[in-house]
Amino acid sequence: MRRLAGLVLALLMLAGGSPAAVAADPPAKPFRIYMALWRGWEEAAQGFKDYFANQDIPVELIVRDAGQDKAKLKDFVAEARRLNVDLVFTWGTTVTEEMLGRHDAVDPARHITDIPAVFAIVSQPLGGVVPSLSSSGRNITGTTYLVPPETQANLIQSYRPLSRLGVVYIPLERNALVAIEEMGAIGEKSGFTLETRAVDLVDGKPNPASIAGKVAELKTAGIDFLYIPPDTFLNVNRDLLTGAALELGIPSFAVGENAVLTSKAMFGGVYRYYTVGQLTAYKAEQILVHKVRPADIAIDAPRRLSIIINMPVVRRLGIYPPMKLLGLAEVFDPAEGGVK
Amino acid sequence: MEKIGQTSLAAMSGGLPPPRPVRWSLARKVSLALISILLFTLLVAGFFAYFKFESVYSSQVQSRYSFMVFTIKKRVEDSLNLGLSLRQLRQVQDILEHEKQRDAQVLAVEVYDHRGEVLFDTDRGAIGGKVSDALVEAARGNPSQAFGLADEDTLIVGLPLVNALGKVEGGVVLRYSAVYVEQGVGGLLLELAKAVGVYLAIFAVVALAGLYLLFGRVGRKLAGMEHALTEVLSVGGHAVPEAGGGEFEEHFAEFVDKTREAIDHIRDATDEVGRLDRLA
Amino acid sequence: MTLDRTRPLFVRLLLLAFLVLVPPVGLLSFGAMDEFARGLVPEMDKKAVTVGHDLAASIERAVGFGIPIASLQGMEDFFAPVLAANPEIRYLAVTDPSGAILFLSGAGREALEPYFSVADFGAAGAEHPKSIIGNFINLTQSLTVKGSDVGHLHVGIDHDYVRDRLLEITVDIGVVTLVSLLVAVEILLFVVAANVTGPMRVVGKVVDKVRRGDFTAICGGGSDDEVGRFVHRFNAAIRRADDLFRRLDAYIDEVRSAHFDKSVVERVADIDSRVRFLFRFSRTGQPEVVTERQATDIRLPLFLFVFAEEISRSFMPLYISSLYAPIEGLSREMVIAIPIAVFMLVIALASPSAALATARLGSRRVFLAGLIPAVIGFLMTALAHNVYDFILWRAVTATGYAVITMACQGYISQASQQQNRTQGLGVYVGAVLTASVCGTGIGGVLAERVGYRTTFVIAALLALVAGMLIYRLVAAAQPQGRDRAPRKRELLGLLRNWRFSALVLFAAIPSKIALTGFLFFLVPLALTQDRGIALGDVARMMMLYPVAVVLLSPLAARLADRTGWKAGLVAVGGVIGGAGMLLPMLAPGLEMIALAIVLLGLSHGLSASPQLAMIPDVCWIECRNMGQTNVLAFLRLAERVGSVAGPLLAAALIPLHGQEGAIVALGWLVLGMSVVFALLSFAYGSGPHIETELAE
Repeated sequence: MRRLAGLVLALLMLAGGSPAAVAADPPAKPFRIYMALWRGWEEAAQGFKDYFANQDIPVELIVRDAGQDKAKLKDFVAEARRLNVDLVFTWGTTVTEEMLGRHDAVDPARHITDIPAVFAIVSQPLGGVVPSLSSSGRNITGTTYLVPPETQANLIQSYRPLSRLGVVYIPLERNALVAIEEMGAIGEKSGFTLETRAVDLVDGKPNPASIAGKVAELKTAGIDFLYIPPDTFLNVNRDLLTGAALELGIPSFAVGENAVLTSKAMFGGVYRYYTVGQLTAYKAEQILVHKVRPADIAIDAPRRLSIIINMPVVRRLGIYPPMKLLGLAEVFDPAEGGVK
Repeated sequence: MEKIGQTSLAAMSGGLPPPRPVRWSLARKVSLALISILLFTLLVAGFFAYFKFESVYSSQVQSRYSFMVFTIKKRVEDSLNLGLSLRQLRQVQDILEHEKQRDAQVLAVEVYDHRGEVLFDTDRGAIGGKVSDALVEAARGNPSQAFGLADEDTLIVGLPLVNALGKVEGGVVLRYSAVYVEQGVGGLLLELAKAVGVYLAIFAVVALAGLYLLFGRVGRKLAGMEHALTEVLSVGGHAVPEAGGGEFEEHFAEFVDKTREAIDHIRDATDEVGRLDRLA
Repeated sequence: MTLDRTRPLFVRLLLLAFLVLVPPVGLLSFGAMDEFARGLVPEMDKKAVTVGHDLAASIERAVGFGIPIASLQGMEDFFAPVLAANPEIRYLAVTDPSGAILFLSGAGREALEPYFSVADFGAAGAEHPKSIIGNFINLTQSLTVKGSDVGHLHVGIDHDYVRDRLLEITVDIGVVTLVSLLVAVEILLFVVAANVTGPMRVVGKVVDKVRRGDFTAICGGGSDDEVGRFVHRFNAAIRRADDLFRRLDAYIDEVRSAHFDKSVVERVADIDSRVRFLFRFSRTGQPEVVTERQATDIRLPLFLFVFAEEISRSFMPLYISSLYAPIEGLSREMVIAIPIAVFMLVIALASPSAALATARLGSRRVFLAGLIPAVIGFLMTALAHNVYDFILWRAVTATGYAVITMACQGYISQASQQQNRTQGLGVYVGAVLTASVCGTGIGGVLAERVGYRTTFVIAALLALVAGMLIYRLVAAAQPQGRDRAPRKRELLGLLRNWRFSALVLFAAIPSKIALTGFLFFLVPLALTQDRGIALGDVARMMMLYPVAVVLLSPLAARLADRTGWKAGLVAVGGVIGGAGMLLPMLAPGLEMIALAIVLLGLSHGLSASPQLAMIPDVCWIECRNMGQTNVLAFLRLAERVGSVAGPLLAAALIPLHGQEGAIVALGWLVLGMSVVFALLSFAYGSGPHIETELAE
């Protein structure tokens, strides 16, 4: 694990170190972009920044970090207006909703409306900041970063034929229920059924100790695959969940990389934040350089998914990935020296 | 055609001038035409065969190198997908050098960005330089379609490099020796030239033989008619058409007889006039 | 064997030409294929090794992760794109160290199993052991993970693939052979006609006179071959008779004028009149020299010139498109169509004056004069910078083309007054069609190899050769003032004959629209731009048209003569051509376009000669009043409206329907017009129509 972390750090440093090195023709006037961040400089922001460097587009970035403090966002709106920037970049659901407003509650007094804006890392932009993914209908556009459920289902099915997909969920979370419903609908279309088990609640709180039992129940129900949706509680208890699945010989698929890289999920699919940041910058380029109206730019996710396969788990289960998937995937194999 | 009647060795020419010499026989004329056509046909056929082979051969060589480039493209794009920009992919240099080692004909493998700046090159000295505009332009084409170019004595095959957003980041090209392709097809040219020479010689002889046979008959026939004409006119008798001859032969026989008749008649008339003239 | 007719000698010659030309080309291509295989197979091996290397690396990576080689998943899907992208690779297989097949794609297990189970790949020593299994060349690559042998990857090359690629070469060579055979036919026909049958026919004529006692003529010409020698001797015989007669005549004159005895004079006069009664001699003092002009004299030059023009047939729109620059207010297709239409238009405009000039100055001079614009046109077309000067040079070429074809037609019609008129027309059509076959076929392959511009230079050279032949071989012909030129009003009056106007409007014009719009314009564009088909193949497809016409025309002519159902044949032909162009609608395949081309050839083969043959019936009065030649010339002129409209119509249709859609749309138009003619044709009746005279 530590080696992997080291690698990621090295990559980050590499990424951060270079932009200044790009020789560019002296720009007439750089575009001024106001970057409003939620929890500091991370990979999406880096991808956003690198894109301009790589494409030789002169930009002046005004970076502001809210440090997870909602109260600061009001000042950001005022500052962006005062500086009269060319574009605003918002990171995360909170920053985006506070600075740009939900699509049905835009208040020109509180929200930025006259400056074009792009958003990234918003979990549910549809029905939130935008009414439709094909167009925001206003002066903003952006990217999604969660792998769509259809893509997840396809990925699982590309590994091996699927007839019964198991999922453990937290009954308290409305989001989880919506996600499960969605996955069930996809199953109906593509020919698998969804087995669900809710984690036991103790004093109104989910009990981690019950997870292993739920997995065993799913095993008895005859599932081919365990599906691990993006969820804070499951993420915290990922060792319990993936460990139980491995013990029972159930392959598991996780949305997100933690369960694969730092636990025992068999494989996972994720959009890298860096790529999402680049895609967001691409949309910014359309607005700034090519003068496309933000409302005319669809909100979408990167085209290429990062697939991560946990090789030790694969070997223990003896359920091997097809060659094509293996060719596309990054393989995590600590015994062989990390990610390949 | 033969003639009947008594033969005399006297006055073979029958008062006709000596025969005109044959300088350019029919067989020679037609042979010249036919052999020229043969030469021309063989040359054009050889020319087309050579060019076709050259195109098949060079596209075969190109497809091998485009496969190599495709392999490199996949690996570079996988790395791009990890979230780094093209110029940061230090390992690409090793990939290129490794691939170059696999084939002695590969002169260079290089990766350039969308502006044409060479980022990695097996020829390390070229890094930082610019590739030609044609390559920059080619990289903007269909991302899964290999492009081929020629540059003096090197041939180039390349593919665009596309990032996770589907945007062209640059291109990877492989340069290989044009001399290699030339050598591959050069041997054939020699073989073809040899074959053209040999077949020309053989079939020219066939043409000559055939034409002399064909026009020999024509010549003999004409000579026969000529002979009959001379004989009948000088010696007398009748011309009879050759057995199996057509209308022309019959008419010719009539012609000969008529001519003879006219000559005889006029001679007789002349004699008669002479006699009358002297009578007085 | 008769010597005064071309056919028997010519058939033998043709047989010999076939024997001399076809086997060496066959042997050459056979040998070349052998040589190709030898050169190509090592390259394919290398490719297979490269592909194998890459696949092996992926497999070794997977096995390196701890996946047992026998448990590799999704190998079919893994191999499939490689097999699809590399047609020469027939199968891919993985065997375990014992040789048992674990995975196999692309071939049957039973073909390979016996071989793999006994072969010892390790011991072969070579890095990539190669072996031949049936029709496959098997290249083996060992799979090594951490120093241990885990199995082998096999790449199988299809030997048939090599053969198929090489067969494509024989198609090219086949076209070359066909073309050179046709050229050989033209040249041999010319040589035989000029050297043997022509002089012998004259001999035949003189023989005919002499055997009737007429010694007024001797044969002209005198080459230094056997025929020349024969003619020389033949003439000598006549001259001898003539000579004797002259002497007798002089003698008699002398006796008559000088002799005192009246009875002698009388008797000598009797002898004189007896001789003159029995034989005829020339009054001019010596026999008249007879020469004969033959339609075939001009056939070879005409053939070469039309060859030169047809050479650009298959790529003309593509060449224009390569010069294309946007012109305000015109679509790209229209810009490409305009030069083709202008070419046709200039021919139409120049033809009448060219015909007039031919009548005044004689064919030879007009032909040579026409060569100047033609050659300049070809050369400058090769050097064209943009569409504008391209149009200019094509117009110049068109002037030359009109002048030269008119000169040839004039020569032929004059020559065939002495012979057979239909035969004369056959000479013209035959030369043009074979030239079309040759030019289209060879031009495409040539342009593919040496480029458009060089091909035009070759066209100019061919035209020059044609001119040289005319200069050297065709005697300066005396001008002929045959038919008086009809007035314009008379010609326009022709259009009042509804049968004639219907024939022009609904049969002649649509057939030209189909020819220039579909074949000349749309076919090259649609095939190369939409489908990326090589130019050589396009040319071969376009060649189907003249080939179909050549094969069908004589048949149709005979049918029309025998049944008298000329209007019907014209109608059927038109409908076939129009319907053929609808075929691309049924299926998107290339075969449909090829079939449409064949059907167009069929259509024109069926309708062209009945169309002309109808004229004497349809315009009985007009033919009598102004001469059939003029009526036919007017028909030719009127149908050129279709030639000009064809490419323009097609270009207008492309933006609406796409290139293949435009073929279909044009097909509907042609079919519609042909159907109208078919309906009208029932009202045509048969035999001469004289009601126009009654009406006036």
